[in-house]
Amino acid sequence: MMQTDTLDHLMRALADPTRRSIFERIVHADEITVAGLTEGSGVTQGAISQHLKTLKKAGLVIERPQGRNVYYRVQPEGLEPLFDWMSHYDRFWRDRFANLRSLLKEIDT
Amino acid sequence: MTMTAAPATTTRDIVVDEVFPHAPETLWKALTTGALMGRWLMAPTGFEPVEGCRFTYQTTPAGAWDGVIHCQVLSVVPNERFAYSWVGGDAGNQGYGSRLETIVTFEIFRVAEGARLRLTHSGFSLPHNETAYENMSRGWKSVVPNIGVIAGEAA
Repeated sequence: MMQTDTLDHLMRALADPTRRSIFERIVHADEITVAGLTEGSGVTQGAISQHLKTLKKAGLVIERPQGRNVYYRVQPEGLEPLFDWMSHYDRFWRDRFANLRSLLKEIDT
Repeated sequence: MTMTAAPATTTRDIVVDEVFPHAPETLWKALTTGALMGRWLMAPTGFEPVEGCRFTYQTTPAGAWDGVIHCQVLSVVPNERFAYSWVGGDAGNQGYGSRLETIVTFEIFRVAEGARLRLTHSGFSLPHNETAYENMSRGWKSVVPNIGVIAGEAA
């Protein structure tokens, strides 16, 4: 069905409000450096780096070194396990509705 | 970036809303007859379309969960509304088989084409077998709208 440990990592990574807002800033920024993330965050650059490490490990962000800077961007597939988990019952009911449609055709003649 | 205390876990509803080219009465029959229910959803055990009736579905077990979904009929308004509780799973599971304490509601509306059926499966909450997860509840609302942006990245 799904790799539980992947989902665990993902949820833990996003469970921290500071880390989550860092992730959201990366989402909106397209690409951003640690310095850019630190600016106006009220958190130290060291703390930001730690959070980025966790986000990277959870598969949520990827880095691109360029000269002396490292740019962070969102890993598009990163959130997939979360959506699989959330949408299990969405899919379940949609499939059941399709069954219901065929059954009704059969019994309603 | 502000640090705020996590609120109580929020829940999320699943809604599926479709029009069927059949009379509400036909739809009602398919929804509330045990034998027919088994043909489109799952075969219930001990089901009667009577308020208060307790019945079960047997699904695939997962981890410490035996796969039994415990239900109780909450509301029966012929051809209009049918609701029951849907409880199962185990806190040790995630994804399939995670702990669920939910309510399934079917509403039928007569329309020109036949009948509109709206299913609401409500009360999904985040797994709170670990306190950390509770912080996530605030996250959904802010993370989910960003998916469009992320999907755009993937394109």
